[in-house]
Amino acid sequence: MNKSKEEPRIGVFVCRCGSNIGGVVDVTKVVEYAKTQPNVVHAEENFYTCSSEGLSKIKEAIVKHNLNRVVVASCTPRTHEPLFRVTCEEAGLNKYLFEMANIREHCSWAHMHEPEKATESAKEIVRMAIAKARFLEPLKEPEIEITPSGLIIGGGVSGLTAALSLSEQGFQVYVVEKEAEAGGLLRKLHTLFPSGQDASDFIKSIVELVKGRRNITLLTSTVVKEVNGYLGNFEITALQNNQREVRFKVGTIIVATGAVSLEPAGLYGYGQFDKVMTQLEFEQLLNIGLPENLEKVVMIQCAGAREERGITYCSRICCNVALKNALYIKGSNSNTDVYIVYRDLEAYGRGYVDYYQKAQEQGVKFIRYTQERPPNVMKESDGKLKVEIFSPIIGKGIDIKCDLVVLSTPLIQHQAGRDLSPILKVALGTDGFFLEAHPKLRPAEFASEGILLCGTAHGPKDATESMAQALAAASKASIPMAKGTVKTEAVKAVVDKELCVGCGACVAICPYNAIEWLSFGQPRVIEAACMGCGLCAAECPMGAMQLRHFKDNQIVPMVNSLFELERNAVLKKEPSIVCFACRWCAYAAADTAGVMRLQYPCSVRLILVPCSGRVDAIHILTAFARGADGVMVAGCLKDGCHYIDGNIKAERRVNAMKEALDVMGIEGERVEMFFLSAGMPDKFVESVINFTERINKLPKLRSAREREESAPSVSNRF
Amino acid sequence: MYQIDSKKELAPDIKLLEVHAEQIARKAKPGHFVILRVDEKGERIPITLAGCDVNKGTISIAFHEVGKTTMKLGSLNRGDYIMNVVGPLGNAAKIDKYGHVLCVGGGVMVAPLHFQAAALRDVGNELTTVIGARTKEQVILREEMKKISSELFIVTDDGSEGQNNLDFLKDLLKTRKIDYAVAIGPIVLMNEVAEFTRPYKIKTMVNLNPIMVDGTGMCGACRVTVGGETKFTCTDGPEFDGHSVDFEELMVRRRMYVPKEKIAVLFYKTFGECL
Repeated sequence: MNKSKEEPRIGVFVCRCGSNIGGVVDVTKVVEYAKTQPNVVHAEENFYTCSSEGLSKIKEAIVKHNLNRVVVASCTPRTHEPLFRVTCEEAGLNKYLFEMANIREHCSWAHMHEPEKATESAKEIVRMAIAKARFLEPLKEPEIEITPSGLIIGGGVSGLTAALSLSEQGFQVYVVEKEAEAGGLLRKLHTLFPSGQDASDFIKSIVELVKGRRNITLLTSTVVKEVNGYLGNFEITALQNNQREVRFKVGTIIVATGAVSLEPAGLYGYGQFDKVMTQLEFEQLLNIGLPENLEKVVMIQCAGAREERGITYCSRICCNVALKNALYIKGSNSNTDVYIVYRDLEAYGRGYVDYYQKAQEQGVKFIRYTQERPPNVMKESDGKLKVEIFSPIIGKGIDIKCDLVVLSTPLIQHQAGRDLSPILKVALGTDGFFLEAHPKLRPAEFASEGILLCGTAHGPKDATESMAQALAAASKASIPMAKGTVKTEAVKAVVDKELCVGCGACVAICPYNAIEWLSFGQPRVIEAACMGCGLCAAECPMGAMQLRHFKDNQIVPMVNSLFELERNAVLKKEPSIVCFACRWCAYAAADTAGVMRLQYPCSVRLILVPCSGRVDAIHILTAFARGADGVMVAGCLKDGCHYIDGNIKAERRVNAMKEALDVMGIEGERVEMFFLSAGMPDKFVESVINFTERINKLPKLRSAREREESAPSVSNRF
Repeated sequence: MYQIDSKKELAPDIKLLEVHAEQIARKAKPGHFVILRVDEKGERIPITLAGCDVNKGTISIAFHEVGKTTMKLGSLNRGDYIMNVVGPLGNAAKIDKYGHVLCVGGGVMVAPLHFQAAALRDVGNELTTVIGARTKEQVILREEMKKISSELFIVTDDGSEGQNNLDFLKDLLKTRKIDYAVAIGPIVLMNEVAEFTRPYKIKTMVNLNPIMVDGTGMCGACRVTVGGETKFTCTDGPEFDGHSVDFEELMVRRRMYVPKEKIAVLFYKTFGECL
């Protein structure tokens, strides 16, 4: 039975959430109000809708009233939607026929001291949810088969650790290493901190283990050239020894391409004097043997790192590396003086401070310098080096005559990593390293499903941390492979062939290459590759491309419903602002603002979108045409979009809309783009308050009704 | 003011207008284009000629109603006027006796292809023709093309008529000796045809359609990279050697105004007026 074709029969369940909602919002009034809405055949209030009692009431009502849509007005869908969706499914209702109205985080908790306004706001929020519910469609979640094999790009300690983990779980593994030998950076190191273990012995034992595994194919002198497909079905083309093409199919990909140490050409005499070397070169020297008769060694920290421009980040590991090598020198020859010249010493991590203290005890000398007055290295006539240091602590210069200067240089992304980014269509951060989907929630994954990340490809890390992340990536990769099939999101792009004119705008904007452009211009959505951001839908000039569950004919009715009635007198003084909020950031920030009980005006109504890049000109235009005083489009921080750069595309559209509004004689500043993260509830509240003030300062727009009555010319509409 | 002598619907949203423009008709050749402006506030749009009749003093233009301006143009009827038409612009397509010519056209551009193919046929070429569209309703001028071609293939992206992709051209090129090829239509199509003919070193001409402003070589909006050199489509083209065109760049440049165009269409649809 196709429930979407039937006349909607909507059930509305309004939750008191104990006193969380009920203590501010007059829930009974909201229920009575919901009953007056078209297509609502049942409405009730629950003490806790999410309790087992509340859930069984939903199920009973679905059967008793033959409901084909369910609206729950309670808390945020970000936490409770899955629960209510399952409940609907248990009662035989497709879970996409469920809609949620957030009257707790975005209402009762945000307007705690204005119960009357909160109640009216709750009515508006519920009305909008009902409006969307009318147009919901049942959706299927397509299942895709997962090839039980993994590709690991990079055969360093991270890649090999991940490979061993996947191999142990019984999956076929391909390791692609660009060098002739596996082992990565560890092959070149002398010892590992804090254990002091021999680095090359350690990595050799791992390489041997990998070589012994029958289900691991180790391809050395090989680079990945082409990757097609999507989670479960990646087709890989690699080039071995620059000539032989190797092709294979994998279900998941782990990026473990590592990093390289900066060669600080021109810094502190590097490249000019042969006794100036990097820590990495020093370790290679130690592998041959510590030079005899060393009297003094100076190590300079942050060489080329934490700069104003260029490499601005801290490479994390260098302080510990310097401590390790200083202790080694001291251990070999206690008569050698070792100086560590530093800006800030960051002996972070378990046991590392002890390491620092040990170095102090053994007589390693620490001298601070400042970024403004870095040390100066020069060569003396007797062939020794002289390091001039200005110590801000004693306010004087210190000159050290030494045999060796060792520079602690940062780890940086390499060209091979940069080349891989467009091949995999995964993002690099501003620091050049690969960017994870979310620093806390998805730290070992890319935004694209089935592609994972570990080790120093993701940023400077020591071996222990790299291995921990490698195991995390491997276990994440194993989940779909162990299952064999994966249900993908039903929220995918879909094209209406009748409306499409074949311009290719959708093809161009898709961040995931999920839309194919056929010869005569027809776009075709590759469902398994579509991540559901809706950028294509907002870009389509014809409205032919739509995003399921967030179609124009589902979002526009929400906007319309907000303005279809005269505002209640209680709210009349508030400007009417529609905020299209990205579910990953702005919507979440508003949720957290509620949790923190941050108070803000009742002016703003949020409409949940998967990405700010889904917001279409028609949504904004409808809002203004219907009577909105302002429109906020709120997306993630500039380099934090979950769909690579949907927020940047949104900003471009908002700017185009500003210009258009200006031409029409309504102020372009009535629409604004905001960038924030889920962790910025205060910024969300500040944005709402400031934007409301901005709107209040502008001359009042004529009401939609007045506009309707005037002549039907564009300029008169507003 | 240029009066519309006749109007014909070739397919839903695809219209063919015969416009009275004696002076243009006298000089018009296949490959030429005109730039027209529907009314005083209108945007200037380039359209490749789909035909001309010196005796009647008319030129033909075919267009797909996809944007604000083409929608407005499509709303005009016989007897209505177009504000102004400039042309013929660009260089005429090279019409010569090559032998066996492969003609490929897509969507609305089948109309100008017909103009060019008929000329090629008139000088004694044998034609193998491929026409297509996204779906069968949008395939135009089947009969007209059939008349001048020794064989005709139809392709639709959704497979609703004929083949569902151009891959059959690979086999076709193996079995027939093609001496020259012409492709007019979507960028993907022109790019594909050029790639198919490249191994056989068959000269393949494509008719480009970048964003254009004045059409007389002054502004440079229509610049394209051909064989590593910057060319102006309006004065150096619009016909170029398909094996030398940087299609990738052309695609990127064509998208520059997508968000603004979208808003313009929305306003036109909503209020029936331009911004």
